[in-house]
Amino acid sequence: MMKKIDKYYPIIPVLVAYAVLLGYGLVNPGKWQLVSQLAFYCTLGQAFNLFMGMTGYVDFGYVAFMGVGTYGMAVSIYHLYDKGLGLWIVVIGLVLGALFATLLSLAVGAVALRLRGAYFAIATIGVNEGFRYLVEGARIWNGSEGMIFTRHMKKAMGRETAMALSTFWADILMFGVAILAAALTLVYMRNKVGYALTALREDEDAAKVMGINVTKYKIIAFITSAAMAGLLGATAWALKLNYVYPADVFEIHYTVEAIIIVLLGGAGTLLGPIVGGLIYGISKYYLSIVLPGFQLLIFAPIIIGIIVLFPEGTVGVLKKRLMGTPLQKYVI
Amino acid sequence: MRRRFTVLMSVLMVVGLAVPSAFADIVIGHPATLSGSQAKAGEQAVGGVKAAIDWVNNTRGGVMVGGKKMMLDYKVYDCESKKESVTSLLERLVTTDKVNFLFAPYSSGLTLAGATVAEKYGVVYMDHGGASDNIFKQGFEYAVQTIGPGSKYHAGTLEMVKKIDPSAKKVALAYEDSEFARSVMDGAEIRAKELGFDVVFKRTYPAKVTDLTPLLSDLKASGAEIVIGGGHFQDGQLMNKQMADLDINPKLLSLIAAATLPAFGEALGELAEGVMGPSHWEYGVTFSAEGAKKLGKTWIGPSQDEYVALFKKAVEKDMLPDYHAAEASAAVLALVLAVEKADSLDNDAVRKALGDLTFMSFYGGWDVDDTGLQVGHSMVDVQWQGGKRMIIWPEAAQTGAPAYPKRKF
Repeated sequence: MMKKIDKYYPIIPVLVAYAVLLGYGLVNPGKWQLVSQLAFYCTLGQAFNLFMGMTGYVDFGYVAFMGVGTYGMAVSIYHLYDKGLGLWIVVIGLVLGALFATLLSLAVGAVALRLRGAYFAIATIGVNEGFRYLVEGARIWNGSEGMIFTRHMKKAMGRETAMALSTFWADILMFGVAILAAALTLVYMRNKVGYALTALREDEDAAKVMGINVTKYKIIAFITSAAMAGLLGATAWALKLNYVYPADVFEIHYTVEAIIIVLLGGAGTLLGPIVGGLIYGISKYYLSIVLPGFQLLIFAPIIIGIIVLFPEGTVGVLKKRLMGTPLQKYVI
Repeated sequence: MRRRFTVLMSVLMVVGLAVPSAFADIVIGHPATLSGSQAKAGEQAVGGVKAAIDWVNNTRGGVMVGGKKMMLDYKVYDCESKKESVTSLLERLVTTDKVNFLFAPYSSGLTLAGATVAEKYGVVYMDHGGASDNIFKQGFEYAVQTIGPGSKYHAGTLEMVKKIDPSAKKVALAYEDSEFARSVMDGAEIRAKELGFDVVFKRTYPAKVTDLTPLLSDLKASGAEIVIGGGHFQDGQLMNKQMADLDINPKLLSLIAAATLPAFGEALGELAEGVMGPSHWEYGVTFSAEGAKKLGKTWIGPSQDEYVALFKKAVEKDMLPDYHAAEASAAVLALVLAVEKADSLDNDAVRKALGDLTFMSFYGGWDVDDTGLQVGHSMVDVQWQGGKRMIIWPEAAQTGAPAYPKRKF
């Protein structure tokens, strides 16, 4: 019995880290938006790591899942605001966000997951751009005009509630997404999915010969990771900012940020995305304040330095250090 | 007194190397787009704000509030043109730096990203670079626009045609499929119909288009006399070139965002002759204190040439200001007049004063409606004549007469 629970100890530092971050924001209301920004990077890393960390596959079209997730929430608020549903439109939005992302990941996965490594990466590069032009060209969801729905939020639930939702509760929901993504990562790590994916990451052919259905497990992780991205888009972008333009959400630099965060923290580790997200977010924030306009000149070498010095990421190094100590069971 | 002391202390405790001015009473906070996709516009906007503050403090002698002169100061951070950074930096400006008023970052999207935070804290939010009309249909109580709304871009162009050639009837709209171009062209269509034109052709093309021949062939068949289009520099240039190739010769060709740039004439040479474009402001407009007096409007700010000198000093390089700078400067001037009108630094009072304010500066007219939408600023129309950009409309800002109908390619 104890053994079973032992397996899930690594969630403790994750929960502690998010609790500390959340607590800091609640105690310092003037820093709440900063906390929200840091939580965004951690969540982005957490959701991206679910697939990339476990399989070693880099999905360059990842931000498209966040984009369609944003649209899920936008569509719900924009079209249902006057139906007297009150806060239910947010629930429907979350469901739609996850659903849109899942559907897109099925379509992408069906084609791209047959490919390996670099070929997979190349195949996914076009997904994001292609989907953006599809939305614009076919005038889906208002096309290039996008949707702006502050007014609709106010009509549906009143000015105060709408404002509280945008400036506070959207961030709380985002913390929820982060914890959900972390919990799912751990669950996968500790059961068949994780073992299969570890085998796949080390040697895909050997795994296949051993009789592991690698495609099946790849798809499971891929869809889960995409659904998390959908929820992140629905909360951090749609619910918080109340607008969506295709050019703003199908923006490849978020995929790049996700890769950087995961590499900084340590791909395939549970705590990595949080550490990576915090390093990335905090340095970016303070550099843009101290050296507005020049922060990237300093930021880029720091990132390159960390990744060169710790190829396994900061948590990867920590994990090695803790081998054989009592703390070992808390960090994976 | 205590409040002033805290503002002063917070300015002095700034992280970094910025040396605050000796005595700042009114602080403007700005999460500018100094890097990322909007960096060019951001650099101009920050230069514009600094140039206007320099003029207010050193030429005008500050801002008169409660019977004493106060100085302006400016706190700028870089949001990297990213929506996540806008919200956190705006909050920092309000809660840590305790700035009095906020400036939005450049572009409609980023302006929207920060609007809810400005509303939450109840701080006046000056939109100097978000042209979307939609921003002002959301019921924001503190957002105030200085850049002219997209829907008004061609009002002047069409009025000009109406005045000098009442026989011209057929209008074609061919433009890039983007939020900005769409709002501009929807506005142009409405205005054209109001003035009695027939919109005989309206079609979009995708961003980054490489061949417009099929679209232009259809446009030619429509027999349009007035062609309005464009979206960005690249497609505007392509459209101009391919219209020449296909020998399409309307009486007027106006391209947004492309024809107003110096690079357009350099790239197209002879082919640019007679092509027009609407602009918020161009170096060479002739708005002046005398002109404002004639119209019975309040005048504030430097003359155009004084302004250019102040701008070059602010950006520390030999660069001419463009409209991104001018509109940011005009937003500072609007704030100064509103603070004096309200005779207070209270945001609600200043926001109300902004609503009642109307004035003229080197940037042209300024007046907002109840929602905060800019309604007093008219665009100027620029036309290439003999390899130079001439301002041909409105008549009050003219540097040359319109060449109409446009010379054949």
